[in-house]
Amino acid sequence: MDANLWLDLYRRMVLASAWEQRLLRLIEEGQTSGFYHAGQGQEAVAAGGCSALRDDDYLLYDHRGLSQAIAKGIPLDRLFGDFLGREIGTTAGLGAGIVHIAWPALGILGQSGTLGGAFPIAAGAGLSARLRGSDQVVLCFFGEGASNRGTFQEAANAASLWRLPVVWLCENNNWAVSVSFAASSATPNVADRASAYNMPGVIVDGMDVVAVYEAVSAAVARARAGDGPTLIEAKTYRFRGHYEGDPQTYRTDAEVARWRERDPILLHERRLLEAGVAESDLKQIRAAAADKVHAAAERALASSKPRPERAFKGVLA
Amino acid sequence: MRTVSYQRAIREALDEEMARDERVFLLGEDVGAYGGAFAVTRGLFDKYGAERVRDSPIAETFIVGSGVGAALTGMRPVVELQYADFIGIAMDEIYNKAAKWRYMHGGLFNVPLVIRAPEGAAGGSGPEHSQCPEHLLTSAAGLYVLTPSTPADAKGLLKSAIRDDNPVVFLEHKRLYSQRGEIPEGDHLVPIGEAAVRRSGTDLTIVAWSAMVFEALAAAETLAERGVTTEVIDPRGVRPIDYETIAASVNKTGRLLIVHESPLIGGHGAEVAAQIAESCFSSLRGPVRRLGAADVPIPQSAYLETFVMPDRESILKIAEQMLDGAGAAAAGAGS
Repeated sequence: MDANLWLDLYRRMVLASAWEQRLLRLIEEGQTSGFYHAGQGQEAVAAGGCSALRDDDYLLYDHRGLSQAIAKGIPLDRLFGDFLGREIGTTAGLGAGIVHIAWPALGILGQSGTLGGAFPIAAGAGLSARLRGSDQVVLCFFGEGASNRGTFQEAANAASLWRLPVVWLCENNNWAVSVSFAASSATPNVADRASAYNMPGVIVDGMDVVAVYEAVSAAVARARAGDGPTLIEAKTYRFRGHYEGDPQTYRTDAEVARWRERDPILLHERRLLEAGVAESDLKQIRAAAADKVHAAAERALASSKPRPERAFKGVLA
Repeated sequence: MRTVSYQRAIREALDEEMARDERVFLLGEDVGAYGGAFAVTRGLFDKYGAERVRDSPIAETFIVGSGVGAALTGMRPVVELQYADFIGIAMDEIYNKAAKWRYMHGGLFNVPLVIRAPEGAAGGSGPEHSQCPEHLLTSAAGLYVLTPSTPADAKGLLKSAIRDDNPVVFLEHKRLYSQRGEIPEGDHLVPIGEAAVRRSGTDLTIVAWSAMVFEALAAAETLAERGVTTEVIDPRGVRPIDYETIAASVNKTGRLLIVHESPLIGGHGAEVAAQIAESCFSSLRGPVRRLGAADVPIPQSAYLETFVMPDRESILKIAEQMLDGAGAAAAGAGS
């Protein structure tokens, strides 16, 4: 066991989880809208995936939770600011919600509001790294629902053809809003499609943060070495609805309960304890995350809402 | 001054900007050793190599979308859609990603991307390879849409587009590729958003863009023989559009005809007409008139194609109606 790594993975998951819990409170209080796609249950994919990156590697995150951006290191107060529509947000008051948060200093390139719109952009960022002679890698997150977009075919083919430094990381949580993967895919796994593009396809337990970290690290190393992209499918599950208020008529409580037994944070916690880490250390990590989130939320709430002119800024360079 | 073709002018612009800035690269179908479907990039592959003059798979969402991704991360891509009609395939990438990425991400990024696309009817290519689609993009805030008509403008505008930090759709008319014209020597740049007055006059203003500029000029020549002087304005693009120059002309002539090869219904002439009707109403001596392609798909037959497009004769016919209505001496001169 690499104690520092394992604790760091735990820290990132706990931080993302604490941030989301605070956001859900803000939604309940009516401070921001319920159009939030909670990521509870999927923290391991984000934390494991982003921990495999350097600061200057690129991230195209997706709409399920903010764990990906948080794990890449985005400042939490700015993230709250984007949900609250305050000037402290990365978009300086434009408001971003679950999409369009960006942080160029850490390679966070933003998010496509249309599902699957990120695939060609990720390939282009990889091409850019190649042409600039940089060894940066692009990590592109997407859901199993978006994997059915034609943009994946176009981007995956070109990226593999030219061995671009891209890692395709699919979070398969089985539900594309209300439609199951089995009802929308001709192949039983997203990773099965990798062979069509002559790239490795890897299936990993998305509830196991260490397994995700190892799979993504291998793919990142391969990409950085110039050997091209990898498609990783992390089998995971979303514990909450597609959005806050989703009646979830498409799945049973029993199914959700079954997956909740494999909560990635609790699984990793158990593993850390078994490896001899003291419960008090974990408690301290949780307390530190809560403090950090609390302070960030307070800073964001203290920030001003933009003036109406903000709506008209930033259209053109 | 040298006289070169429109096609060569575009190639020179690409060549000069690639030599000047190593961040500039080309991506598109057949743009490599083959030199492009319309031979525009011919020779550039040999000069700059396969990395910077890159043949793409047939994958338009990838061509434009990867251009956006490369532009966001420090490159200045010039991508080519083999036909402008194909913007429909890559519409999300153009209309949402290229145009809006900067705005929706708080102005944190620039998108210095040029999307070149050959447009227009050129003799029997059918409904999906003959269209002028600029009107489909005029509501895309964040995007420039340019429609050069002369070799000098094609070169100068393309060089400006490549240096600009905003995304540009650069529509090259296929019928103009072989047309020749004078080009200034040196680092020739044409500013984006400035109209050109192609011919001065006091009786009628014709606003026309892309290949229709030459139909308007031919009609103006005939009108001149009849004693009518026509001002022909080429906005050189539709987004942004230089209303100052158009309004100044309309305030002088009192008559405005707008001509484009894209469809009359939904064409950008309607927007120009509305803008001028609002700003120049008291100067207008009659209704603003428009000419555009008929409300049918462009037929495959090269013979039939000519009947659905505006040309110098149809421009002349409308111009005469406009001048008749005013009962001006000009109408007498025409009869």
